[in-house]
Amino acid sequence: MAERKGKYPTEPLKCWEKAKKIREDYYRNYATAHERGGLRWAGGAWSFDAIPAGLGEDVYPLTSEPYGASCAYNKPFSLRCLEATEKAGYARDLCAYMRNYWGSILLNEYVFGGPFPKPDFLWQDHICCSHAKWYQVVSELEGGIPHFCIDVAVGPETEINENKIEYIVGQMHDGIEFLERVTGRKYRDDLLIKAVKNHFRSTSTWAKVCELNKNIPAPLDEKTMYSLYVLGTLHKSSQVVADFYEELYKEVKDRVERGIAAIPNERCRVMSDTQPPWGFLGVFRYLEKFGCVSIGSLYTFGLIGAWEVDENGEWVHRKTPMERGVTINDRDSALRALAEWELHKPEWQHFYSPQLKSEMMIRIARQWKLNGVMLHYNRGCEGLSLGIAENRLALLKAGFPVMIFEGNMGDEREFDMTRTMSRIDAFMETLGMKKEFD
Amino acid sequence: MITAGIDMGAKNIKVVLLEDGKRILAKSQLPVGTDTKAATERAFAEALGKAGLKMDDVRHITSTGTGRTTAPYAKDNVTEVSAGAKGAVFLHPGTRTVIDVGAEEGKCLRCDAAGKVIDFAVNEKCAAGAGSFMEAMARALEVPLEELGPLALKSTKTIPMNAQCAVFAESEVVTLVHQKTAKEDIARAVNDAIADRITSMVRKVGFDPDVVLIGGVARNKAFVEAIKRNLQIQVMVPEDPEYVGALGAALAAAELEGVR
Amino acid sequence: MRELETFSSWVKDRHEYAKDWKKRTGGRVLGYFCTYVPEEILYAAGVLPVRVLGSHEPQNVTEPHIFGMFCPFCRDCLAQGLKGRYSYLDGLMIAQSCLHIRQAYTSWVLHIPIGFSYYLCMPHKVQSKRSYKFLRGELETFKNAVEKWTGRKIEEAALREAIQVYNENRRLMRQLFDLRKREEPPISGEEAMTISLAEQMVDKKEHNAALKELLGKLPQRKRERPTGTRLMIVGSEDDDLAFLHMVENLNKDQYPATFVIDEHCTGTRYFWNEAPEDSDPLMAIARRYIERPPCPSKDWEERKRIPHILQLARDFKVQGAIVMQQKFCDPHELDTVAIRKALEKEGIKTLFLEFDVTVPAGQFRIRVEAFLETLKQEDLF
Repeated sequence: MAERKGKYPTEPLKCWEKAKKIREDYYRNYATAHERGGLRWAGGAWSFDAIPAGLGEDVYPLTSEPYGASCAYNKPFSLRCLEATEKAGYARDLCAYMRNYWGSILLNEYVFGGPFPKPDFLWQDHICCSHAKWYQVVSELEGGIPHFCIDVAVGPETEINENKIEYIVGQMHDGIEFLERVTGRKYRDDLLIKAVKNHFRSTSTWAKVCELNKNIPAPLDEKTMYSLYVLGTLHKSSQVVADFYEELYKEVKDRVERGIAAIPNERCRVMSDTQPPWGFLGVFRYLEKFGCVSIGSLYTFGLIGAWEVDENGEWVHRKTPMERGVTINDRDSALRALAEWELHKPEWQHFYSPQLKSEMMIRIARQWKLNGVMLHYNRGCEGLSLGIAENRLALLKAGFPVMIFEGNMGDEREFDMTRTMSRIDAFMETLGMKKEFD
Repeated sequence: MITAGIDMGAKNIKVVLLEDGKRILAKSQLPVGTDTKAATERAFAEALGKAGLKMDDVRHITSTGTGRTTAPYAKDNVTEVSAGAKGAVFLHPGTRTVIDVGAEEGKCLRCDAAGKVIDFAVNEKCAAGAGSFMEAMARALEVPLEELGPLALKSTKTIPMNAQCAVFAESEVVTLVHQKTAKEDIARAVNDAIADRITSMVRKVGFDPDVVLIGGVARNKAFVEAIKRNLQIQVMVPEDPEYVGALGAALAAAELEGVR
Repeated sequence: MRELETFSSWVKDRHEYAKDWKKRTGGRVLGYFCTYVPEEILYAAGVLPVRVLGSHEPQNVTEPHIFGMFCPFCRDCLAQGLKGRYSYLDGLMIAQSCLHIRQAYTSWVLHIPIGFSYYLCMPHKVQSKRSYKFLRGELETFKNAVEKWTGRKIEEAALREAIQVYNENRRLMRQLFDLRKREEPPISGEEAMTISLAEQMVDKKEHNAALKELLGKLPQRKRERPTGTRLMIVGSEDDDLAFLHMVENLNKDQYPATFVIDEHCTGTRYFWNEAPEDSDPLMAIARRYIERPPCPSKDWEERKRIPHILQLARDFKVQGAIVMQQKFCDPHELDTVAIRKALEKEGIKTLFLEFDVTVPAGQFRIRVEAFLETLKQEDLF
């Protein structure tokens, strides 16, 4: 590898090891929960994990999208999962996370070793067509596991009203009844309130971290961010994750103050969109050869991060209900605050119109000072690829060069590394960037 | 000053020798085969022979094409996208949109007067919409590839055909054959289907006149007609459309040497 | 049969019908995607709802707007808009269901000028008791939007009348379909599909009148072809008359077959249930759409579609089922495995087919003939 010439100092993240440990503990705690008399549940990364937290302090979730990504990262394992799913008759074009997860059940293998730990109940929310159906099938494959799913598809944040909030909160109340019924446990509102507050803290703080990438040089690159945002997708309502994000924020802020960069030769800034092809994160390293850094994406910022537009039109982290002086002191006020908060989630908006996503993307492109955008037309996720062609048109119209590449976040058979790299070559040429080293 | 462009395509290697970034001295092409290095050396020797030159006379060699990083002799490389734009603008200064259809890939790009690429699209995985697909269809019809175009031009009938997937399309052709559909009508259906796929891609990038069609498939007149019909616009095809990429690479080499 | 031709000409000349209706009545026409659109409210406002469908022609205009991994149906629908075939529409709307068709709607609204557009948040969790109040609220908001658009109030009496007209249509359609339970159904699957497609494009009052006329004659009709194998077709959006025609017109000595029932949103799912009696018309409408046979995108946590499909299979004495879907249709892909399993368990063999914009006739014919052969073998033992 040739010498990288850079003008910026770089250094590894100090809290890297800690993030790694939180993730390892999470998957181990889930697998071993029964040994300690605890409960296991499975659901999506967007499900309201603060609600099952009210069942006790020994309740461990397994969120399935990050689990599917972990499978995808392990290519041989993933391939066996995908093939097992196909053999069972499921179509190849379905959500790749879902197929990796189902494959794990069919093979009875946990990607981290040992047999697949069967959850005690399924707790999901639904905005993408695959969400509830994913767990309907999980329940069938596992011989029937109680399943509860909350419909959150009530429209964009600009149209929230009492009727919509009541619909979600009502389902949450029904969900708590369901949890008490299937576990036989008495529900504790104090634990719910604590978890809800952690949820606000972790999602708001993650956005605060992403905001720091407006700086030049960017203190973080997207490939690194993937390993950090994932904690929020695993367990956003846990004390551990909320505390970690505050620690991370301090460290990244310090990096900015000292001028520490993610890549030493930053000369060009882009963002991506949708989940990356997890088995091929080398794409991001390849960009660095051109002095190009991906500073993140609406996906990395907004899948878990909570945002709002401030009075100057800047996209900034969303102030928590605690900071706004909202009282959260009982079950209903906690659920209501949670429902309202989540309805502002950036990645929930484009389900109603691609324009809402385009506006956010253009805002990022301007405020994070980008030279171009790389859109991953992701065959593995219809939810986040929804309207992506319209996003491309809108970004071009706003004056940002766009490169698209097709792939799949969780099915390596649908990603072509060589062709993607040659597409990057062409895109970098159009941006006037030269490869600095091989 | 002599520069050269080597276009390492999926099926054929093309070489262009250029003088002072202005005059084309020689062209040659050979199938890639399995030994690309030997094939390139032969193609290069052939071009040199035509121009009456020696290797030492060539100042700068730039490669392009799918296999551009493996091209022998090349000092550096440019992507097919840039090369296509440069070559087309050189041959026709009014070019603003280039449609490039080769054996394995279809591409479309928009560029400015200087040949700088503004936006581009490449067809995705499936080869439907490229030359290899035409070859497969010609095989199914039992006609030589070069006759697929002239045959299609004899037809005035439109038969809808779904070219989402080459395998399925081939079986549609087989069905049409069984139904005793006239060969020229099937040939036209094939050309129309491929032209539809390419048109879809062109619409993605958008197109401004003048539109220039390059790559080996541009030799197929029925395909060109179908593109014109679809886009409702005149489309220009240079004399040797498959050499435009290699020409673009030779022009890039000249630019790097400060000529032009 | 003359009474049947009315329906096929409506389907064939759907655009002419709508333009003519506008001229005749001075009313507005609204295009809609997805059968969860509460048409009664539009009808009460004097608006004609017409379902936007594709034309089954290969096209090259949607690539810039919809990523190719979404279903051919949503791309075909958008193509109709981009090609200007629906230029007479005054409004366009969707009721929330699958992500695929949603893109046809959102891209249409972005690129094709339209006077009125509306996205209705139809709840997904129709199995939740909370969905009733929620949908009723959404319907109220929608009604207000329609009133603002047309500039006139929708009176309660008009809503009640619309519910009656629609319920009558549903009742007549059920009567018609009941005739297919007979040993010798007097109507083919292709004809039945034509009638149910027509009801999604024309004024329900006119459709009702035509249905009554047809029902007067149909019970005495003898079809020229033997009924043969009794087939069911189950799956996603399906207006592929060409496919039904092909199956029902194979060599009648070797492969006689008739579709006796369907489970499609373009067929029975559209008209199967009536709006119940309710003192509050908006609640009656809400209940109707919540309790109808569900689209797979709304069929959770429990699977309610499957018992419904099995019941249809029993009532119509189905011998084989063709399970079809639009290519890439995720909600149906999430049901197909379970449906096939349930049907096979019931002793009903299934054939699975993926539909695209055009049907690969040759390929499908071979598969269908082979399928019919396997069903015939059963009869020997």
